[in-house]
Formats: sequence, structure tokens, C-alpha cells
Amino acid sequence: MDIRSQISMVFHLDKCIGCHTCSIACKNIWTDRKGAEYMWWNNVETKPGTGYPGKWENQDIYKGGWEVTDDGIQLKGAGKPKSLTNIFHNPHMPVIDDYYEPFTYKYLDLIESPAGDDQPTARPISMITGEPMDIKMGPNWDDDLSGSPDYARNDPNLEKLSPAEKEAMFQLERMAFFYLPRICNHCLNPACVASCPSGAIYKRGEDGIVLINQEVCRGWRMCVTACPYKKTYYNWSTGKSEKCILCYPRLEAGEAPACMHSCVGRIRYLGVLLYDADQIESVASAPETDVVNRQLDMILDPFDPDVIASAKSNGVADSTIDAAQKSPAYKFVKEWNLALPLHPEFRTLPMLFYVPPLLPVMASVTKVDNKEQSEKMHPVGKYWPDSWLYDTSTEELFGTIDEARFPLQYMANLFSAGDTAQVGDRLKKLMAVRLHRRQVTVGDVSEKMVKSALDDTGLTPQSADDIYYLTSLAHFNDRFVIPAAHREQAIEMMEFAGDVKGSTGFGFKTGTAKRGA
Amino acid sequence: MRFLSQCAGLAILSLSAGPPSLMAQQSGEEIFQQKCVACHTLNADRLVGPGLAGVMTRRDRAWVKRFIMRPDLVLGSEDSIAAGLLEEYLVPMPNFGITDAEAEALIAFLGGGGGGAAAGETAAAPDVVEPATEEQILLGQDLFQGKIRFTNGGPTCNSCHDVIHDAVIGGGVLAAELTTVFSRLGGPGVRAIIGSPPFPVMQRAYLNKALTDEEVAALVGFLQQADAEQALHQPRDYGIKLFVAGVAGTVILLGLYSLVWRRRTTGSVNQSIYDRQIKST
Repeated sequence: MDIRSQISMVFHLDKCIGCHTCSIACKNIWTDRKGAEYMWWNNVETKPGTGYPGKWENQDIYKGGWEVTDDGIQLKGAGKPKSLTNIFHNPHMPVIDDYYEPFTYKYLDLIESPAGDDQPTARPISMITGEPMDIKMGPNWDDDLSGSPDYARNDPNLEKLSPAEKEAMFQLERMAFFYLPRICNHCLNPACVASCPSGAIYKRGEDGIVLINQEVCRGWRMCVTACPYKKTYYNWSTGKSEKCILCYPRLEAGEAPACMHSCVGRIRYLGVLLYDADQIESVASAPETDVVNRQLDMILDPFDPDVIASAKSNGVADSTIDAAQKSPAYKFVKEWNLALPLHPEFRTLPMLFYVPPLLPVMASVTKVDNKEQSEKMHPVGKYWPDSWLYDTSTEELFGTIDEARFPLQYMANLFSAGDTAQVGDRLKKLMAVRLHRRQVTVGDVSEKMVKSALDDTGLTPQSADDIYYLTSLAHFNDRFVIPAAHREQAIEMMEFAGDVKGSTGFGFKTGTAKRGA
Repeated sequence: MRFLSQCAGLAILSLSAGPPSLMAQQSGEEIFQQKCVACHTLNADRLVGPGLAGVMTRRDRAWVKRFIMRPDLVLGSEDSIAAGLLEEYLVPMPNFGITDAEAEALIAFLGGGGGGAAAGETAAAPDVVEPATEEQILLGQDLFQGKIRFTNGGPTCNSCHDVIHDAVIGGGVLAAELTTVFSRLGGPGVRAIIGSPPFPVMQRAYLNKALTDEEVAALVGFLQQADAEQALHQPRDYGIKLFVAGVAGTVILLGLYSLVWRRRTTGSVNQSIYDRQIKST
């Protein structure tokens, strides 16, 4: 066993309202710079949709992630032989138009234009060339556009769906969408690290944050190709690649990352997971639908004395083990088994987990006679010729999950490499918690029905209440359990702190300020 | 600011106090050693130009002075003496920008009125030089092409000159072609020109970067060999074929690249969307 600690994230998609506050917080702190304008280390996508950069999930285009070959897993678009032969021109690089050309507006024209017959306008200006431009695309151009032919219907996750399933998704009455906020997954088997010809990318030992050393990066951009989530970006001004740093300066000060701190829906959770690094290669090479379960098996119980002893012998700090025991990520991912990684089939073993969205999926459409209702209304007022009833109540326990507006297959393509059983399990648990809470707060659901729902999903009323608490009531310190970074120890490894003892603080004034005229 | 302007003033002063004022104080002999000896002897021997023994008796004093100061003008005019000399010696004498005072000093040195009697005696016959060794010739070949740099950092010969020689590929065309220079000017002439160039451009190029004696000997050896063996050396001239081959090679290479990288990503995934968008211009 080689126990290491990883700061892991859980995003609860049922709670995401798609406000992009996370993206803006991140942009204002980290990517509001020349050369980084087009980067969104945090972005929020509408699903179904093509995302940012366009169709990033389609690795036939972008060649990201790992693939299984005869010699184990290999990078799809990078790696030693491929990188060496393509080092002066990486043939699978996304272009700026795959993202979007960043723009601003010439606001000064609004107040500085001379008087004229027309209102002045603020023309859009490219933030790359500085010239006036036509805005063609944005980082969330398909926001809320479910059913659109260019975006929703081009979602790469629809590929394995039957034509009937696809059509069902986009029927007017059934149409739905949800939001998928994305940051760097800080993977256990990061393709970006493996692809870097300069060795500039590394996974931090103490917390597993994946970072690009800006002083070592030579701008080969193999990581841009290799990352299947397209979460490393090339800065055209500095000539180096950049990526989400999980706000490590904030983490080291005990603060939550900016995107998580600012999250309006409080969908984001952050905590330590202990995992066995010896298994990384075998798990990443496992058959596609096994990868998720094997990855979850790698994550170990922080209360197990063997695990604790092994972690300590590996240099994991007591404070980190303590944080792992309180970790909301451990509860969602392991204890309740509610969260799944995004696209495990890319085999990078992402450590950002998603609680799949249940969505307001329960609905049946029946023909009813609205004549009586319509007659009551004033003719000038509302007249409702539609005779369809959109019914969100159901008799059957989990029937609606199988008949969800989103086919389970679609969710499975996103979160479990196409295995509907794994996503179905999580959704049923969410449903059972809802039924349980309905019974507690409203009481119009039969006790027997709730019991059978909880039993079916392996939950107890206690654990259902715990899930409810962490989902809906959790405080800041429940959602973010940040281990002490122990920077003082890191500093002491480099220099002797006693050297500066007694040389800072009061008493070093060089002179007294002159007073008077 | 004041410091800067003082520096600039000093620089200008030191520039203006440079060579011209120094030359004004030079004797005729010094000027001769500096500027004339490359091509002229003080006896009757021909070097590049004619030997200058008794020149002041052969020629009119005013003519000599004019020729020393502005040879280009005299040669350009319809002066019959000058035309005859050019026909005989082939190399037109360059204009050295010699001042009136310097010309007087030179004429005095050459025996044109007082103090020049010893002129004939000081003239030394050029040394008999041993033929260059094989190593020297090879060194000269490398020096000519710049494969070995000159010790004092002077520019390589083939920047401006060309020689027909198998070892030399594409010399310069800015200055004279030097294949037959040895038979035209003779060993002493070539050596003198390389050692202290009489031509203004060459003078400027090698200002403070004079060639060492070994380098001069090596270059002379090389030029002598090039001259002697010119019939044996026939570097091929590919003419238009070289250009055509270059273009064909480029086309083949580009074709190969597009074949090897045929699966590369081309264009944007959003191109079909962009194509339908209305553009403002």
C-alpha cells in the first residue's frame, strides 16, 4: 500500500443553478490577464450541449486521454513517440475558434463620441488583435439551449443513444437540461503530466493538486492535446501553458477555492480522500465499465487503523488524516456512494466527483378535458386550448427514473462510461432520500413505501437524513474541510527558521519622524 | 544630461582629432610607406604600378601632384599620359584622399625639390619569398572562405571576392574576381594589397583588423595556387537547374508532410456555425 492524500471535490448537480458565479470568480482572480482572456479554468456548460471548447468530449477530434493498447494504456494523442515526431507541430491542437475569440467593448466611445445624429455604440473589440470584430462564439454560447440543432443535438454523449431516445429527449414537452460546472479534475492518472516533454507538470505530493511549473514549461502544448477535459490552456502571450491550480494559495491559507467559496447554489464540496497509489496503473487499465468501481475501491477508509498507520508511515500528516475523516468528499463518494467521476472512460481517474442530477424528471403527459376550466376564464384573458396534462406525480416507486426525461443512457455516458446500472443506483438513492424527507416533512407518502425505497438503495433513515443535511443544510465548514498545509514544515525543509528569529517585529525603527513646521 | 553631452563632445573631439591631423604631421616617407608601397617601388621595378625612380624628372611636377591627389579625375579626363599608363598597368590607381600638404610631402620625398635625393637608395627590392607550403595553402583556402576566422576579426575574403576553385562555393560578387590576380599583379603586389589595402572600401573594412603576416602568406599562397591550377578547377554551375530542383524538393517535402499528417486537425469544430453567421463587413 502506498497511501497518499488527495484534495478531492464533489459537485452536486441537482443544486447547480447555472449562474456562472464560479466562472467569474475564477476569471477575476486568475485569468484576467493578457494571453489568458480566452481561458476559463472554471466553466459551466449546459447539457445536452457541445460545451467549451466545442465538442471537447469527442476524443476522435481532440485525441485526449488514455487508450488501452497491447502494452497497457497509452496516451491517445501524445506520449513519447507521438510527441517526439510531432514536437514542432502538434497536429491535434485545438484552435482559438474551438474555444472562442475573447472580446470586450469599446465603452469609451459611448461617452467620448462627438455629438451626432446617432447614438454612439460600443463596438466589440477582439482582446487578441485589438481590432473591431464580429462576435462569433462565447465560452457559454449554448447556455440554456437544450434542443438546439447546433449545440444540444451535437452533444458527443448522444452518440450511443438510439434515434428514438434522442428524439424523446428533445420533444417539446419533455425537453430539459442541466448544468455541468467543470474545473481541472486533478486526476490520479493525469494525461497532462504524462504528456509533458519538459517535465513541467507535476502532481503535488501533499494534496495531489496538478500544477504546471511556469519556469520549466517550454510551451510544447502536448498537455493541451493530452487532457481529455481540455483543462490545460496555452497562454499565447507568455508562451506557456496554464491550468486550474485549485486556488492552492487559498487552500494553504485554509480558504476554499474561489469558485467553491463563491458558489451561490452551494453545490461544491471539498475534502481529503486517502487512496492507494499502488493501484493507479491497474485501475486505469481496467475494462471500461469497471474503471469507476475500481477507482472507488482505491479510495480507502480513513478510520481503518491499517490505513492510518500506512498513511502516517508515508508522511501524511495527522491533521490531513483528521481532515480525511471529516471529509464531505469521502461521505458523498464512498460512504453514501452518491457521486461519480466525469467520463471515467478517459482513464485519467479524475478526482472531481459529480452527484448526478435527478432533475424534475418525473412527468407523464395525459389527455384531459379542459373545457370546464376554460369556460371559467374571461375570453380576453387566458384561454388554454391545450388539453394535455403535465403530471409530475407517480404511483410507482422508481418508475420515473427509468422513464426520466433524460434517458439513463445519456447520464451513464457522462458519468459511468455508459453503464446505466451505476448511474441508476445513484439516482435511486437521491430519489429515496427525497421520499424519506417527504414522509418526514409532509407525511403524504406511506411509511411502507419509504421503507422499501430506503431498503432498496441500502440507506437507513439516519443516513438519508445525513445526506439531506449535507445536501441542503450544510455549513461552510461542513462543505469545505481543508487540511492544514503545514507550510512551516515545508519552509523548514529549505532553510533554518532560527536564522530570522529576533530580527522581525517591533524595535527596528531607523529614525524618528520629524514633527512640526 | 550634462554628463552625456560632455561625453558626446569628447567623442566628437576625439574623432576630429583622428587620422587627418596626424597625417598632416607625417613625413613624405611615412606616407609613402603607408599608402604607396603596396603598388609602387622606389626603383624602376614594376609592382602593380610603375616604379617611381626618377618620376619627378619624367613628369611635370604639377601633373604628379594632381595625379597623386585625384587620380580618378586625371584618369577620367582625356589625359594621354594617364591613358597610356592605364593601358600598360591595367589597374587604375584609386583615390586615397591625399591632402595638399601630404602631396607636397610626397613630392618632396620623391625628389621633386629638396630632400628627396635619397629616394633611390631607400627603395628596397621586394623580398624573395619562399613558395607557400601545402599547409599554408590549405589555411589560406579556409581563411578565404571564412572557415577559419582572421585573428583580428576582419571580414572573410569571400564576402566580396570570388575565386574559381573547387573548394570555394559561391564567393561574393561585390569586388574583383581574384582567380588570375596572381598573374596580373604578381606575388609582391598581392601581398602588399592584402597587407595594407590601397582601396578605400577594403581599408575601411580592415581598419584596426589588419591581417597577420601568417594569414597574408597563407592567402597569397592560396591565390597563387588558385591561379596556377585554374585550368584544373571547374566548379559546376547548375544554373536554373538548382532553382528548379529546389522548388521540386519543396513540393515533394510538403506533399510528404501532408501525407504523414493527413489526420491532423484542420479548422475549427465550430466552422459550420461560423460559416452561417452574418458578418458586419
